[in-house]
Amino acid sequence: MADVQAQSVRSVGALESILTGAVAVALTLLTGAVLLLLGGFDPIAAGGAMIGGAFGGWNTFVSITLVRSIPLILTGLAVALAFRAGVWNIGAEGQLYAGAIAAVWVGIRGGALPAPLLVPAVLMSAGVAGALWALVPTLMHLRLGVGEVITTILMNFVGIYLAAYMVHGPLQEARGVFPQTGPIAEAARLPMLLPGSRLHWGFGVALLLAAALAVVVRRTRFGFELRAVGASPEAAAVSGRIDTSRVLLVSFLGSGAIAGLAGGVEISGLTHALYEDLSPGWGYTAIAVALLAGLNPAGVVVTGVLFGALQAGAGAMQRDAGIPAAWVGVVEALVILAVLAIDRIRRRAGALRAAGARGDE
Amino acid sequence: MSRNVRTCLLSSLVALVGCGGSSASDDGSLRAALLTSGPVSDAGWYAGAYDGLLLIQDSLGATISHQQTATPAEFDEAFLAYASSGYDLIFAHGFEYQDAAVRAGSQFPDVTIVVSGGGRIADNVVPLIFRLEEGSYLAGMAAAAMSETGMVGMVGGVAIPPAQGTFRAFEAGARSIDPDIRVLETFTGDWNDVAAAKEATVAQLSRGADVIIHNVDAASFGVFQAVREAAADGRTVWAVGMNSDQNDVAPDVIIGSAVIRIPQAFLETARRWETGEVGGAPIYASIREGVIDFVFNPRLMDRVPSGIVERIAAARSDIRSGALTVPRVRFVEDEVGAP
Amino acid sequence: MNPTLVRLRGVERRFGSVVALAGAELELRAGEVHGVLGANGAGKSTLFNVLGGLLRPDGGTIEVDGRPVVLTSPRDAWAHGIGLVHQHFTLVPTLTVSENLALGLRGALEPGLSVQRAVRELIERTGLDVPLQPRVEELGVGDRQRIEILKALLRDPRILVLDEPTAVLTPDEIERLFDLLRELAGEGRAVTLVAHKLDDVLAVADRVTVLRAGRTVLTAASGEADQSELVRAMVGDGVVDTIALGLGPPPSGAPPSAPHAERWVVRLRGVDVEDERGWRLHKVDLDVAGGEVVGVAGVEGNGQRELARVLAGRLEATRGTVELPEQIGFIPQNRSTEGLIGEFDLVENVALALYRKPEFHSGPWLRWDGMKRVAEEIRSRYEVAAPSVATLGGALSGGNQQRVIVGRELEMSADLLVAENPTRGLDVSAAAFVHDELRRLASEGVAIVLLSTDLDEVLALSGRIFAIAAGTLRPVSSRARDRAGIGALMLRGERRTAVDSALERGVDDG
Repeated sequence: MADVQAQSVRSVGALESILTGAVAVALTLLTGAVLLLLGGFDPIAAGGAMIGGAFGGWNTFVSITLVRSIPLILTGLAVALAFRAGVWNIGAEGQLYAGAIAAVWVGIRGGALPAPLLVPAVLMSAGVAGALWALVPTLMHLRLGVGEVITTILMNFVGIYLAAYMVHGPLQEARGVFPQTGPIAEAARLPMLLPGSRLHWGFGVALLLAAALAVVVRRTRFGFELRAVGASPEAAAVSGRIDTSRVLLVSFLGSGAIAGLAGGVEISGLTHALYEDLSPGWGYTAIAVALLAGLNPAGVVVTGVLFGALQAGAGAMQRDAGIPAAWVGVVEALVILAVLAIDRIRRRAGALRAAGARGDE
Repeated sequence: MSRNVRTCLLSSLVALVGCGGSSASDDGSLRAALLTSGPVSDAGWYAGAYDGLLLIQDSLGATISHQQTATPAEFDEAFLAYASSGYDLIFAHGFEYQDAAVRAGSQFPDVTIVVSGGGRIADNVVPLIFRLEEGSYLAGMAAAAMSETGMVGMVGGVAIPPAQGTFRAFEAGARSIDPDIRVLETFTGDWNDVAAAKEATVAQLSRGADVIIHNVDAASFGVFQAVREAAADGRTVWAVGMNSDQNDVAPDVIIGSAVIRIPQAFLETARRWETGEVGGAPIYASIREGVIDFVFNPRLMDRVPSGIVERIAAARSDIRSGALTVPRVRFVEDEVGAP
Repeated sequence: MNPTLVRLRGVERRFGSVVALAGAELELRAGEVHGVLGANGAGKSTLFNVLGGLLRPDGGTIEVDGRPVVLTSPRDAWAHGIGLVHQHFTLVPTLTVSENLALGLRGALEPGLSVQRAVRELIERTGLDVPLQPRVEELGVGDRQRIEILKALLRDPRILVLDEPTAVLTPDEIERLFDLLRELAGEGRAVTLVAHKLDDVLAVADRVTVLRAGRTVLTAASGEADQSELVRAMVGDGVVDTIALGLGPPPSGAPPSAPHAERWVVRLRGVDVEDERGWRLHKVDLDVAGGEVVGVAGVEGNGQRELARVLAGRLEATRGTVELPEQIGFIPQNRSTEGLIGEFDLVENVALALYRKPEFHSGPWLRWDGMKRVAEEIRSRYEVAAPSVATLGGALSGGNQQRVIVGRELEMSADLLVAENPTRGLDVSAAAFVHDELRRLASEGVAIVLLSTDLDEVLALSGRIFAIAAGTLRPVSSRARDRAGIGALMLRGERRTAVDSALERGVDDG
């Protein structure tokens, strides 16, 4: 199975990722328009509301679309890093919750720390918690050979229910009335990136991380090992003498840490408290974000913003065009389908080119 | 300056595809919005809110809009979007909105936010408290009268104070009829998990309870299903509806429903907002305003023991007059007796 | 003359812009063994797949019994009595031999004949002796080949087509297979042998067809065509590598002299490799000195894979002492899965072996410019047919992939080079290139271990020769230094199962 998986994910250049994304979105919108017509809605008004809700003005773009894209970019980077190494981390959702729990704990109880250290402490604890959440599937994979797909999915449930337990139990707000935590300390909150908007520094963190990952993957020995193991574990071990277990361990834990950071950033930058339904499934949407970006860190920023715009626009479609909420799900599902189809077409074209050049009998 | 230029550029792009909304309706009429974190097709809590919004549109000629949110991260965004598109009155239909509502309220002083079941108060952020426990008390009386085993059950979703309050009142109402009655209580932890609610109901039925009340949302179908199946097995068992008039959902087993007439409460709130009466204090909606009540299922009236309808009617007027005080769980901050 | 069962006329088949078949002609007659010859890339496999209904031709006609047919699936081919024996195994490893034989047989047997009985009768008649109870994964390659043939024969085909069936067999087994093929032809079937080794085909075929560049260039009775004529037909004006064509050792290929004891670079003592299925290697002792080519011959699946990896420092021995040099070059057998990464370009594929060298990184940072220069050098010096070093590894032909791998491993200036079936599947000129490079390296003082299932290759290039069978390495004395002698050693202990090795271990330990 590892073979198939390794081959099924191809990394491509940023430009090609963007083009793929553009075609996917165009197809999606077209299908969406037809469905809207069938449902008796006005697709022009819906489309207008959608675009307006995502890009209709600087403040809308910055305060809604970009804010929405932050957890998508971060979890997308987490997934891209793991998939690049051939690790099928479907557990970004649970790792995000683990990070959020740690972040809110440090953010509430960490008052003893000097204020300038509190935000880094919150984010670091979130990353560590995410990595720890990934450690169980990692060890089961490396030591026992248990497939990480199933274990990471199962750990998602544990993470989600642990968060539910926390807001009903140990971390419930002081009055003990509502299932949520109290607010984190003022000093534990990420400052605004653009004053006057809702865009917090989490976006900066996401951009910096994407840039760092792009450099690591392209320029460093570890990045090379990561790509080799992801593309072909056999060749990496036999021809590159690469310790594939070490590469898997580091990339799996790194992926978990980034997903955990996504949870921490959401707490520290936006909600300032933990709720049961903190994530609407970012950890899963992240898979589409990462695949659409061709697992390219720079591409993840683009597709993350694209998905952020999609979700922001979906909200506006409800508000301004009266389209039912179920549309959020339909549109997202359509995009994912379009991505799969286009990715497949592109890969087939690539395989044909390769076969032609090789001169297969 | 530069930001304005950018805004104009982006706006002009958007104008091509028709960006509606933000600058419309300067005629001074009410603009009311609704936020729910569940689907308005639930035939209950959220559906009632949406009906209320439609009622405000019809009765007051208001411009309305609704958004279903999925995550706390969207709460602030939705408040921001509505406030900056000129909405005056935002109904946030659930306690979960309260923190974001207070944040938005301080940022947009001209907007009034009404948080259903909320616990925090500001000048322009007020909780709308439904005294469902009053209806639940009457339901408890009916349940005790119907029970042959002397045991009744309660199946709840998340154990939050308003839900616990309805159960305390149910229990009190039941004891007013039968002081020795035994009352079972289960919280499944989920408002919408049909399977979990059904399982909890089956467990209570098998322990001997024969009248089951619920306080869940979409999961109520699980409660009714379990009761129906027990009835089909030959047992004499009943269910009690909650939140909205659910008597038609399972007309053969639902003896009556403790109802919130959410649409009336919303309309009343909007009327009071127009006269400037909303702000700084919680809005209570109770039997007195006709928002809360208990309604028997007319199709099963022949199964109801004689005299109980009259006793319930008497209790209703005692509550209305203040002669009878229904126990409740206090949770609004600064409220006397709240934690 | 025997009746013609199958006739292909002007068959064409393209893959994208590549023309695999450009007018192939083939006539198969009842009662005769027909050899289809061609260098790698000549279109043999495509022709085989067209016959089996796996590929549809773009042009030309296929006639069976004089009537044109369209073969759209293997089922169609079966319906016309065409049975295939694939080069790549099609057995399910986790099923038993009986289960594999029974697969897909429903309705193919005479009514009332159970699979078990049919198999037993067939084994008796053909002498293809295979155990029926073990799972296929427990069996050696020779057994698997026999099972493939049995599987095809169970359906009683009138036309039997075998693709490179001798690649994994010992000389003895090849003899027995050829006897069987003649016998089958004697029963009135048309037997077709697709192969690239001239010797094999001439030994058994009544007539031969030679393919070159997708065209049939020669058809003759095997008695009428002499070797040099066939070779010319196969390679055209290309380079002739006599070893690859199975024409015996080249005249200049005198074995290098005895090893210099003072230049030992490899020392294995009592090396065991064990996995969950039992021993892979058992008590292996081996010394290799700089400047010599040590040949290891064996049927696949007898431990040479593990031996190669222990020697290359890629696999740790379960027991025993292993002394290896610092720098080891390794040419693994599976070029496309272990040697190269298909989606990496040439620079990255070269980097795979070199990125650890101090001159190619500073701290964590890779120095791509340096590695790119090396890749450019390899591309020009080893005449890799690729438009640039940005070409993806997967886009290269097997021969060019091997050029890249050889070039890269030589670039490491290693003291030891381990080569595992380095010419398998290569065309003639690529095979010649690899052989020349191995000889050159040895003459420069590098220790070379050549592990190969190709006896001719081992005989032609090696000084000392070992045979490996069932994980045990045995030296081949100068007396036994021929196909028959080595073949006898290779056969010892074949068909080992986990049970066998466990038993053997118990005896040893006790």
